[in-house]
Amino acid sequence: MSQMSKIVRTLSNIAFPFIMIFGFYVIAHGHLTPGGGFQGGAVVASGCIMLLVAYGSTWVFEKIKVSRLSVFESLGALGFIGVAFFGLLFGGWFFNNFLVRNGILFNIVPKTGSTAAEFNTAGVLPLMNFAVGVKVIAGLFVIVLVMAYASSLKEWKQ
Amino acid sequence: MLFEIVNILLLVLTVSSCILAVVTKDLLVAAIALAAMSLLLSLEFYVLQAPDVAIAEAGVGACLSTAIMIIAIKRTKRMEEE
Amino acid sequence: MSLRTTVAVVMFSVLVVFFVSTALMLSFGDPMKTEMDDYIIMHTQNETGTNSGITTVVFDYRGFDTLGEATILFSAVSGVLMIFRRVKN
Repeated sequence: MSQMSKIVRTLSNIAFPFIMIFGFYVIAHGHLTPGGGFQGGAVVASGCIMLLVAYGSTWVFEKIKVSRLSVFESLGALGFIGVAFFGLLFGGWFFNNFLVRNGILFNIVPKTGSTAAEFNTAGVLPLMNFAVGVKVIAGLFVIVLVMAYASSLKEWKQ
Repeated sequence: MLFEIVNILLLVLTVSSCILAVVTKDLLVAAIALAAMSLLLSLEFYVLQAPDVAIAEAGVGACLSTAIMIIAIKRTKRMEEE
Repeated sequence: MSLRTTVAVVMFSVLVVFFVSTALMLSFGDPMKTEMDDYIIMHTQNETGTNSGITTVVFDYRGFDTLGEATILFSAVSGVLMIFRRVKN
């Protein structure tokens, strides 16, 4: 697919960093504000796909290897299941929140009621948010990238 | 009272943009109307106090599916024939 | 009256009764209150240390749900890459 006009490219260049920052904010503050791994990953993948539509899929396909994105997707899934198995190892059952009171990171417990948001809370939930975020970014982006590049090929050998 | 007015307005706009997406002959207009429908639906989720679902709906429905449809429309003719 | 018209009338009346009774049963934007809501709202900050209760439900109390969602996304990526595998060379 060829690239779009200069107006579209300039506008997506301007909007791209703000979408990235908002998406990573939603992932990193998943345990404090509405949002989480899936929502923030969908926002970041939307920004990348906006560049894909504006600049054409062949330009992006030369820059990024599909196999590397697939590796990131598998690493996100392995990290998510790995944190769940660490809960089985340290705490006694699957999906146990083993970092919440006695870990090194993320170990502060807030008081019940409306309190100020402290970033250093919530046990394993930020790690799971990060793993799911990496997985969703790589997964959604690689799906649309491969489909767009396949639609841009001139002759499609049967 | 304001809550009901906002709800009814948002739902009527959602249904009318769905009808526009079905009726129109221009495929690009239909894709943009579906994106507008998804955005209005995410605003409705936000009004009903579900901001998680609103962010997911706005990201997936209004951007990803619209991008897939625009990539597909660029390989076809734009106007639907009779 | 033919069979198709009868079936259509019966299905339409069932749909009307369903939607009207559902709309009369619950008021719009005001969900039913259960005991699980109260338990999660009262205990989520003490048990998991999270300020956002929805993230706690998604990743901790109902973690297997998110595991299924991750499996769905993984199989979708595997299927797309497998269908378009000829594209790479």
